[in-house]
Amino acid sequence: MITIDYKDRRPIYQQLMEKIEELAASGLIRPDEQLPSVRGLAVELAINPNTIQRAYGELEKKGIVYSVPGRGSFLASGQETLLAINRERSRQELAKLAARAKTFGLSRADFLADAAAAYDEGGTEQ
Amino acid sequence: MIVTRNVSKTFNDVVALHDVTLNVAKGAIFGLVGTNGAGKSTLLRLLAGIYRPNVGELTIDGESVWENLAVKQRLYYISDEQYFFANTTPLETAHYYLNIYPKFDIQRFTELMTGFELPLQRKINTFSKGMKKQLSVILGLAANTDYIFCDETFDGLDPVMRNAVKSLFAAEVADRGLTPIIASHNLRELEDICDHVGLLHRGGVLLEKDIDEMKLGAGKVQCVLPEGADIESLGLDIVVRDRRGSLLTIIARGTPEEIASRISALRPIFMEVLPLTLEEFFIMETEVAGYDVKTLFI
Repeated sequence: MITIDYKDRRPIYQQLMEKIEELAASGLIRPDEQLPSVRGLAVELAINPNTIQRAYGELEKKGIVYSVPGRGSFLASGQETLLAINRERSRQELAKLAARAKTFGLSRADFLADAAAAYDEGGTEQ
Repeated sequence: MIVTRNVSKTFNDVVALHDVTLNVAKGAIFGLVGTNGAGKSTLLRLLAGIYRPNVGELTIDGESVWENLAVKQRLYYISDEQYFFANTTPLETAHYYLNIYPKFDIQRFTELMTGFELPLQRKINTFSKGMKKQLSVILGLAANTDYIFCDETFDGLDPVMRNAVKSLFAAEVADRGLTPIIASHNLRELEDICDHVGLLHRGGVLLEKDIDEMKLGAGKVQCVLPEGADIESLGLDIVVRDRRGSLLTIIARGTPEEIASRISALRPIFMEVLPLTLEEFFIMETEVAGYDVKTLFI
């Protein structure tokens, strides 16, 4: 369910955070569902347990995860959290698309028109 | 907690380590990086109590290691050259270690041997180099010590074994706070498993840092700026700069986000900001420190 890309230059804990946010946003982990244990994930991915602890800690600071002492970490409930994650994710995607459009010399108006069209057409996910 | 204070070690007129000061917290996975001859093995042997420092202090949990049996029972050293008694089998070796390490777990030893598909009753001198390495790791884990020192241990293992050993280390760190120190010249090997890294160079410590902080402490930027824009006007702490045609590549200190937002002010035509790999980070730091090690990590 969670994989690490070793070619990705970002710290592993950031990659982990992103993966968990993705799983939460897509509904594969539901609110109040337990996240994989630090030990289990460390063994599975052959990475440092301290790194996973750090990722969970940062997610907790962002309010995406809560922890129960002695039991583990759980996904926080609340639609706002999910909406915020999704919004953030789509912003990031948009920023990438915008950067590319700029590089190829697409005008702001054309880019916005394309975005609007995509939004209208893609009302349902394929 | 491992602490070395101004430790120096010389062999006749050769200075192997000079004024080394390092801290390794309990439960951390510490990577010891350095070029050949930087003093990695010497430092591990000092920590294992095989050598005695000429100058300085070296303690594990507040106690000196040299000739200190109580401390040495709590650490396991995997040498880069494995040594086993002549004509012994893994099982005999395990029974020998049983007398040395009070917490040696013989059941865990046999389980791990079975897991790695290594024979218990075959003579070790018929083992391949890689099998001997695996055996050393298994003995080290079964010894149940608080600290384990690995000298180039991962380098002789195939990718499947390497992953298995990393998983085992991860489990021990999570379960009982094992503190591994892993020496290697291969930075990529250490990038995924270590949380702290110390860089040795010519017998001294160049830097010692949290691996994530290191990655977020500088960024590499490739950008094309509009005519007349001056990257130097931004007040960025630029360490390395390189221009090829209109493409400008810089390495600057600061988090990648900070750097990106500063450069955005110049309205770049194209921009890509990447965190540094450990390799790039070390090359940058060694260059800043005035060493020319550009070609050594490649």
